[in-house]
Amino acid sequence: MAAGLKTIIALSFVLAIGFLLVILSSALFHNYLPLLVVATYVIAPLPNWICGRCANPDDFMENTGNAVMDFGRFCTGFLVVMGIALPALLAHCQLIQVPAMVMSIIGGLLVYGTIISFTMFFQEEQDF
Amino acid sequence: MSSHRLFRFPKPAWLNSATTRTAGVYLAGALFSLGAFFFIDAATYSHSNLNASLFHITFIDWIPLICSSLGMLVINSIEKTRLSADSFSYSGSGVAWKARLVLFLGFALMAGGLAGSVTVMVLKYLVRDENEGEGANFMTLWLGIANVVANALVMLSSIVLWVSQNMEDDYTYNLAL
Repeated sequence: MAAGLKTIIALSFVLAIGFLLVILSSALFHNYLPLLVVATYVIAPLPNWICGRCANPDDFMENTGNAVMDFGRFCTGFLVVMGIALPALLAHCQLIQVPAMVMSIIGGLLVYGTIISFTMFFQEEQDF
Repeated sequence: MSSHRLFRFPKPAWLNSATTRTAGVYLAGALFSLGAFFFIDAATYSHSNLNASLFHITFIDWIPLICSSLGMLVINSIEKTRLSADSFSYSGSGVAWKARLVLFLGFALMAGGLAGSVTVMVLKYLVRDENEGEGANFMTLWLGIANVVANALVMLSSIVLWVSQNMEDDYTYNLAL
């Protein structure tokens, strides 16, 4: 694949920026609740991977594999929205400041985007 | 298949694709999460320093959301193809009857959750006795509104999940033929 080393460097750069934003959002205000966002986004792709391993989507006789994959997708959707909703909740209840909320949401989205694009690159390489 | 169509407008082709189905399942998860966090927000708010009133989220407020979520679980765990199982001769023994009964229980739980959230909002936050001080202002009414919004979103998420799972049946049907 053409995009090899440069992609990895760019992705790790984005990942570092994402982590920097989240850590700043907690450390600047001496309030470490926004770190939960990173945990959420790191967990978010896991149900999809696990259920993708368990399921056999090509099996048309039994629909159980599809149900398992659907459950994984449902959990992933849940966790992705949770990563946005959790800082908004904390800011609404004034447990964290609004700038911390903005920084942690942007940082979390960057981290999650990195994970997703990394997975996509890996899958494309596996196809060859 | 097209000769059995009931309506004049055909179903758009993108409705049957696997991509739409996947997106629907993701959307259902997102909606459920949004609903749950609306309510968790209200619960957190009611126990934070911002809440100056006497209203607090107690277990009573949680019951409708628990009912809705249980109903969603019941509805979406049923195998959809079993609902019409009795029309085939080889699968008798009342499978469809049982499936419909369980489905009815699920819908009843879900509708009960939505109705219960409205009940809690009206009885706990809107209607006040004369001797209990003033009624709720907007931020305390929000505790009740968030409950209704959460239950409505759980119901919407369940609808989206149901529709996208029925989509899958058509998709597999088209592939099988």
